[in-house]
Amino acid sequence: MNTVVCLKQVPDTETLIKINAEGTGIVTEGVKWVMSPYDEFAVEEALRQKEKAGAGSVTLVSLGPDRVIEAIRTALAMGADTAVHVNDPAFAAKADPYATATVLAAAIKDATYDAIFCGKQAMDDDAGQVASILGELLGLPVVTMVTKLEVSADKKTATVTREVEGGQAIIDVPLPAVLTAQKGLNEPRYASLPGIMKAKKKPVTVKTAADLGVSVEPMTIIKSMTLPPARQAGKKIEGDDSDAKAVALAKALHEEAKLI
Amino acid sequence: MHGSGITREIFWNVKGEGFPVVEPLTYILALTAILFLVRGLIKAGLLDRIKMMMLATGSDVSRFDNIVERLKYALIDVFGHKKILREPYQGIAHLFIFWGFIVLFAGAGLDFLQVDIIEPIFHKHFMQGGLYLGYSIITDLAGILVLIGVIMMLLRRYRNMPKWLDNKPEDMIILWLILAIVITGFLVEGLRMQATELQPGDPMHKYAWASFGGLIFALPFTAMSVGALKATHLFVWWVHLFIVLGFFVYIAYSKLLHIFMTPINIFMRNTTANPAPIKAMPPSMFENAETFGIHKLEEYSWKDLFDTEACMRCGRCVAVCPAFNTDKPLLPRDVIQNLRTHLEAKSKFAIDKDGKARILPDEEYTGPALIGGAIEKDTIWSCTTCMACVEACPAYISQFPKLIDLRRYLAMMESDFPEEVQVVFKGMENNSNPWSIGAHSRADWAKELNVPLMSQKGSAEYLFYVGCAGAFDDLNKKVAVALAKIFNAAGLDYAILGTEEGCCGDSAKKIGNEYVFQTLATTNIGVFDGYNVKKIITMCPHGYNTIKYDYKELGGNYEVYHYTEILDELIKSGKLTLKTPIEGLGTMAYHDSCYLGRYNKVYDQPRNILGALNSGTLVEMASNHEKSFCCGAGGGRMWMEENLGTRINQKRTKEAIDAGVKTICTACPFCYTMLTDGIKELEKGESMQAVDIAQLVAKAAGLE
Repeated sequence: MNTVVCLKQVPDTETLIKINAEGTGIVTEGVKWVMSPYDEFAVEEALRQKEKAGAGSVTLVSLGPDRVIEAIRTALAMGADTAVHVNDPAFAAKADPYATATVLAAAIKDATYDAIFCGKQAMDDDAGQVASILGELLGLPVVTMVTKLEVSADKKTATVTREVEGGQAIIDVPLPAVLTAQKGLNEPRYASLPGIMKAKKKPVTVKTAADLGVSVEPMTIIKSMTLPPARQAGKKIEGDDSDAKAVALAKALHEEAKLI
Repeated sequence: MHGSGITREIFWNVKGEGFPVVEPLTYILALTAILFLVRGLIKAGLLDRIKMMMLATGSDVSRFDNIVERLKYALIDVFGHKKILREPYQGIAHLFIFWGFIVLFAGAGLDFLQVDIIEPIFHKHFMQGGLYLGYSIITDLAGILVLIGVIMMLLRRYRNMPKWLDNKPEDMIILWLILAIVITGFLVEGLRMQATELQPGDPMHKYAWASFGGLIFALPFTAMSVGALKATHLFVWWVHLFIVLGFFVYIAYSKLLHIFMTPINIFMRNTTANPAPIKAMPPSMFENAETFGIHKLEEYSWKDLFDTEACMRCGRCVAVCPAFNTDKPLLPRDVIQNLRTHLEAKSKFAIDKDGKARILPDEEYTGPALIGGAIEKDTIWSCTTCMACVEACPAYISQFPKLIDLRRYLAMMESDFPEEVQVVFKGMENNSNPWSIGAHSRADWAKELNVPLMSQKGSAEYLFYVGCAGAFDDLNKKVAVALAKIFNAAGLDYAILGTEEGCCGDSAKKIGNEYVFQTLATTNIGVFDGYNVKKIITMCPHGYNTIKYDYKELGGNYEVYHYTEILDELIKSGKLTLKTPIEGLGTMAYHDSCYLGRYNKVYDQPRNILGALNSGTLVEMASNHEKSFCCGAGGGRMWMEENLGTRINQKRTKEAIDAGVKTICTACPFCYTMLTDGIKELEKGESMQAVDIAQLVAKAAGLE
């Protein structure tokens, strides 16, 4: 089974986020970058489908600056075969989900594949649009929030379980299709050391948007970005006994927090 | 009768007129026994096992440097029973049998020297007079000691058997053989004495007391005629001879082989500074090696395999193992014994008809695998690397490091480890700490404490390497804070690295992920050396041990101190005064951290500090010092679920309860966490507490 996995490198969830001087994005220096965790599920699923089929290849596609190669190598170490790195900082800097999907579609369009895997959303901007736009641009069906995937023997169709509020839906979809990975789809593997060593030698094709013939302008622009307000310090309710504390608490909830 | 007349006739009654060939016959029999012993060794596979050892490819530390020192140590240890006597009951029993046999063997040697060398050649009789009397007393004493020793062992194995012994037929055969040798020996003596020196008018009569053992064994025969005594004596003499020779041959087929193998193993003991070295993996391996860790027997070192020869299944390693003592499937002795069985099984495949050994291609070996066959995965992951087994082993076998080799294979080659470990590895890789907390917050604990930063200070006498627990774990941040306050108050010239500090990598190394360990270690070494760091104080014994020994292998050379060593010194020199009494400590006990105690012999300093508090009453728990019982968090177990058996931390907490302890004092963040949890889990929070020594010192110094 041949698959394509779209990867995004995002700041580690624990890393310190600062807003840049223009207030339109984050400071990218001093940030620990990792593969977006939902994309890890996507890579793992692609690998498992390939292993199950006993043949095929997993191709990675990612847009971003030089540092993105680290996320690509991580996925290659897990077992992916090849990668296309759209290394175009100028394009990437202003790319919105539409522009991103356009350039990914251009990188993918000539490949042979039975399915395209994406994370259900990127862990940083949470937009969750790229997979759907990609499906549209490539004329493929899209199934989001996949928690289970069974591919038919002829690789022409798949039975997909997706998460819906309070339950699950089972969907038949013709392949190729775009599938987005939700937590629960699998447990991503930890790259073995031989995998890490092999990954260093696996082919990564580097392209720019222009190489791919893409010159779209973003359809949306980030106007401003702010951090959530710093959490207020807690307040200790004082009082001589539990009755007095209860009165003080009720007063604080009513007058200060205005909750009751 | 010769000279003084105080002597006896060697081969009395045996070398009668009717049977003059008895001496040559005895020696022919003895030589035959030696031949059988050698044949037995070959038949029992010793040669094959040696061939397998020679095939082994694994690296090892030097075993033949400083030969004189090694020999001296081995001789003292073997003849002085230094390590064996750590268990007094078994130790004394073994000592009695060991020295008893040596004396008896030497006694027989003297007889031989007299009757077949000195007498025929020099026509002199030296076994007489005072020498003979001394010989009689000493050999009889030796016989009685062996008797006492073997009875002690029989009682232990078959009356009060500890649950960690695994009795096998050979154990019983050996003890009964020894018992039979001594009893028939004494019978021979008693019968002879009854027929000769105990007869009225015999010139030796007044010296019979010197053979007090024989005297007792002569008692049943007082009514027997001399003729009947002689006949019985002759019979028992031959029985005795054959049992002795049988015992000799049995060495080849049983654990008696340890008589030779264990002393050799003691000679080849680990003499490196690191008390439990795990195979070095030079960084270049990560460039060119194809496989990491061990999953095939031949990948061990020859010494790893030789260890299996030296094990006599005494089970001391089992008795002290925290995994075994909480019903987990790990018995260090069985790891060694199963390796031995595996070695024997594999030698059948690896050695061809001509006796040639070769490295087996995988497809030609159809026996059980090393991992999952000889040693189960649950066994491999149960180890806390507490080193109690290595410390307890009287044969100087290295048990648990063999499991780390297997972990390395599983972790690095197969990514096969308890699933909860993956997030720990990722945390170490992405944020340089196993808690997976943002690396930027590593120095947050030190805010508003006036803790000097190396990046601002430029240099300092000591680097205070806080470690992940002190930096990220809420409970242990309090310890880091206490230490910073103490260092400030004592005017110590120190600094921390702040966010430049990284995880020491101990957990990664012990879980088997040497790759992640070396990545972390080399980063730290780069930072340390960038500031030209010479002396390091660590808060955590794991960082202490790792920086001290493991960083050295990667080119990092530092003088490393645990904070208890520094505090002890500060208190002794008067730079730190503890004047404020601490209320409510009650009965307190120090819990030895494995990596501080067994690994680094830091036993006294923490106790000195507690003594200097002048608060509470210091007692010892049942397991302390070398025999301290692990908290359960070492070897990366801190990060794994404890699904098998009962909980190690609770077992240790119960020991504290049994000792009437109110305050458990720790000097290790992992121990602090585990014992705090143990107290909570056993619902003793009202009456007990765990506390780190640094917190007590800060309090007593009035720094809170």
